[in-house]
Amino acid sequence: MRQRRTTTLPSFIVRDGPCNFRSQRTDIRGQISEDRCQKTEVFWLYISSKQDIGEISYMRNLEITAERQDKGSIESNTQQNRGAGLSRRDFMGGAAAAAAFTIVPRSVLGGPRHIPPSEKLNIAGIGIGGRGAGDLDALSSENIVALCDVDQKYAAATFKRYPNAKKYRDFRRMLDKEDKNIDAVVIATPDHTHAVIAMKAIKMGKHVYCEKPLAHSIYEVRKVTEAAREAGVATQLGNQGQASETTRLACEFIRDGALGPVREVHSWCNRPISPRGIDRPKETPPVPEGLDWDLWLGPAPERPYHPCYLPFTWRGWWDFGTGVLGDIGCHQFAPIFRALKPGYPTCVNACSSGVNSETAPLASIVRYEFPQRYDFPALKLTWYDGGLMPARPKELKEGLRFGNADDNLFLGDKGKMLGHRLLPESRSKEYGKPPRILARSPGHHKEWLDACKGGPPAGSNFDVSGPLTEVVLLGNIALRMGQMLYEKGIKLYYNGPKMKVTNIPEANKYILDEYRDGWTL
Amino acid sequence: MKNRKKPNEKQDRKISRRDFMGAAAAVAAFTIVPRHVLGGARRIPPSEKVNIAGIGVGGQGGSDLRALSSQNIVALCDVDWRQARGTFRRYPNAKKYKDFRIMLDEEDKNIDAVIVATPDHIHAVASMAAIKRSKHVYCEKPLTHSVHEARVLAKAARQYKVATQMGNQGQASEGTRLMCEYIWAGAIGPVREVHVWTDRPLRGLDDVYWPQGVGRPTDTPPVPETLDWDLWLGPAPQRPYHPAYAPFKWRGWWDFGTGALGDIGCHSIDPIWRALKLKYPLSVEASCTLVNKETFPVASMVTYQFGAREDMPPVKLTWYDGGLRPPRPDELEDGQRLGTGGTLFVGDKGKMLGYTLMPTSKRKSFGTPPKVIPRSPGHHQEWIDACKGGKPAGSNFNHAGPLAEAVLLGNVALRPELKEKLTRTRLLWDSKNLKITNLPEANEFIRCSYREGWTL
Repeated sequence: MRQRRTTTLPSFIVRDGPCNFRSQRTDIRGQISEDRCQKTEVFWLYISSKQDIGEISYMRNLEITAERQDKGSIESNTQQNRGAGLSRRDFMGGAAAAAAFTIVPRSVLGGPRHIPPSEKLNIAGIGIGGRGAGDLDALSSENIVALCDVDQKYAAATFKRYPNAKKYRDFRRMLDKEDKNIDAVVIATPDHTHAVIAMKAIKMGKHVYCEKPLAHSIYEVRKVTEAAREAGVATQLGNQGQASETTRLACEFIRDGALGPVREVHSWCNRPISPRGIDRPKETPPVPEGLDWDLWLGPAPERPYHPCYLPFTWRGWWDFGTGVLGDIGCHQFAPIFRALKPGYPTCVNACSSGVNSETAPLASIVRYEFPQRYDFPALKLTWYDGGLMPARPKELKEGLRFGNADDNLFLGDKGKMLGHRLLPESRSKEYGKPPRILARSPGHHKEWLDACKGGPPAGSNFDVSGPLTEVVLLGNIALRMGQMLYEKGIKLYYNGPKMKVTNIPEANKYILDEYRDGWTL
Repeated sequence: MKNRKKPNEKQDRKISRRDFMGAAAAVAAFTIVPRHVLGGARRIPPSEKVNIAGIGVGGQGGSDLRALSSQNIVALCDVDWRQARGTFRRYPNAKKYKDFRIMLDEEDKNIDAVIVATPDHIHAVASMAAIKRSKHVYCEKPLTHSVHEARVLAKAARQYKVATQMGNQGQASEGTRLMCEYIWAGAIGPVREVHVWTDRPLRGLDDVYWPQGVGRPTDTPPVPETLDWDLWLGPAPQRPYHPAYAPFKWRGWWDFGTGALGDIGCHSIDPIWRALKLKYPLSVEASCTLVNKETFPVASMVTYQFGAREDMPPVKLTWYDGGLRPPRPDELEDGQRLGTGGTLFVGDKGKMLGYTLMPTSKRKSFGTPPKVIPRSPGHHQEWIDACKGGKPAGSNFNHAGPLAEAVLLGNVALRPELKEKLTRTRLLWDSKNLKITNLPEANEFIRCSYREGWTL
């Protein structure tokens, strides 16, 4: 039996019913031909890179049809599954999901320049002082042709590193002037400028690598995702963990049924990002030389410069950043979304150590509830930050560390998993590795380069990371409604496809940011 | 009043039979030997008034005295006479003191009972000094500053046979009784999970009652003329005066206070304690915001595991403070409040928020549970009655001691010194021997060390 498990058929497709993952899968697989496995593998690679629930449904239906032809004996089970597959529209609203897999091959559209794999990509970096420098390093096999930063001092080291790259302060000028020289952009600015930059680049047919979170508001995320799909550009979000072995292992354990149906996931990050839980400073020190404060603000509301905003510390300020959840949520949720396809939540609730209109809280708990999907049961996803964590699972032996600074705890009917390790240790040893059903990544940045050169979409392309980011940002809306929810502790009910909080209309003001004059998406 | 203690007595007897958790002595003290036989405290007939001295009378102590104003308030003690001046004025005939030791020495013959409403770090030494003089003691919550003090103080109260009461007045309420009665009537079946929360130290979402998560001030402003800083420090380690500590804000400092858990835990865990017949936790663990050696963290969650008791299954109790809360239960209807503080019982057959069964339909169909607990004449009156030879008060130290121990044990799990170690284990608790069994260095935080000149 062990050896059979190493064949590459995704258990997700052939299991039937919520409870008997492994045995049923093995039973069925015992009777299907090697040829079928091959076909599925091809499908699966495509799906796993697309990560869209609509497509899985689509694929499942193909799969079920094929099974019915192959094997009359599982007819009764598959009937049920087919019903589940068709219900996709009922709970997803269908629109986004459907659009995602009607994608027209990029080459047909003629947007971005065709770049053969042998050629180098011409890349421009926007926001290159901090994380952007790291991204450019990872892409340094390509041509770094232009660099843009609003803070000349902060960017000085990166400027020096690429002496041949043209230097800019304003990304709009850079894109206009260098249009013909640029194939792709890397965006690593503060969160509040991600969307306006990504959108302009996409509209010009540039491939986009954007740091997480994809944007500052849910509306921006949706628009950027749609625009990228229409333009047919290659995209990737900067949540590099998605390319890791551990993400794949976590997914493969779950799809192998190691946990049984998963009803609860706890996800946390203890990262302190200062300042949080504070008010806007009143003093107005002079803007340092080399910094274009107006450009730094970009579409955000006008306010005087203060060193408490940058570099990096903008993360705690609602006008610019998205708190720890925005910073780390896109990392932490990626394996959860990949394994469990939760879609949009039905509701979200949050509590925190205190929140004001200026900064994110010092510590928070955000609780999402996702509906039943196909034969996945309803899921509760709880996010903790600021040092908070769930209680230690009983199955974790005393003396073993409970998780890393950032980690996920999956609770299934038949088992628990911390990160990608089954609990308890004895079970992990006995179980061994799950079958390899997901293709391994050539590397997070390389995925994107390959996509830019006509390869398969990158693992965190915007069709995947857009919906993920929307869910992350919805958590912040719940936090920002703090004062209102504080006493009542009510849940925000959410219509994902329509981007609307349905029970508390006031919350919808946070779905979309108001831009300063002169800025549009 | 006759049957008031019945449920607990029943429980205690069962426990002592099993020699469970060493509780035998506690029960014996007040169920077997009547107090008046043993002497010690002066016998006060119900017709007479109790002569009361107040220690720490500026804040909550002032309110306690008001609630006891039917009795004689004979002496008042406060280390800060400015803070205390309102109370001093209200009782012009009471003698005034700064040092409770001097007051107890000088007024020994005039005092039957004391109220202790000082900062937490003084509770044990002041209460103990009174108990050793056979004075009845009403002590504000939490009973003490350390787990060890709570154990020793409860034991001494038993030995000296004085009437005691902790200041968790909610124990006398109708709500506490209803919570117990619903659960005992099986309204939600066996309870395996309880959540209890407060928003303290928050005052609203962007203000605090007292700061936590801050460091020690470096400036040394002069001590106000009216304050005896050395006495305020009492047994706590020496440090310069700063308004960051007194009045009231001492709650956030490890050396003086016990954080939000200490402040509110003895109130809000008390009904759970009674309803679920809790005695001693088996383990405790916590997670919290950044914490330092000076102040408690801004927000925390503490999880206790209790073993099976009588006919009740093991239960997990989770504490939340600083604005954190458990998930909103599905049974709570839209528009109904979860509340900034509260208690959520999760039973096999339903959930209860405070003493409100959920959903509303269930509350209506269940009706009211049988009234099996006698109602209280009032929290302070209970103690007065006890001082005059009546039944032990509802939160006498035999009850309040173990409760305070558990509350304070939770704070040990928040200690910054243990933080790294506690990523690998929970604290396993041997209550009989007052010992954390799996992390010896944690036992350092079970006791307070006292400054020279101070003993328990």
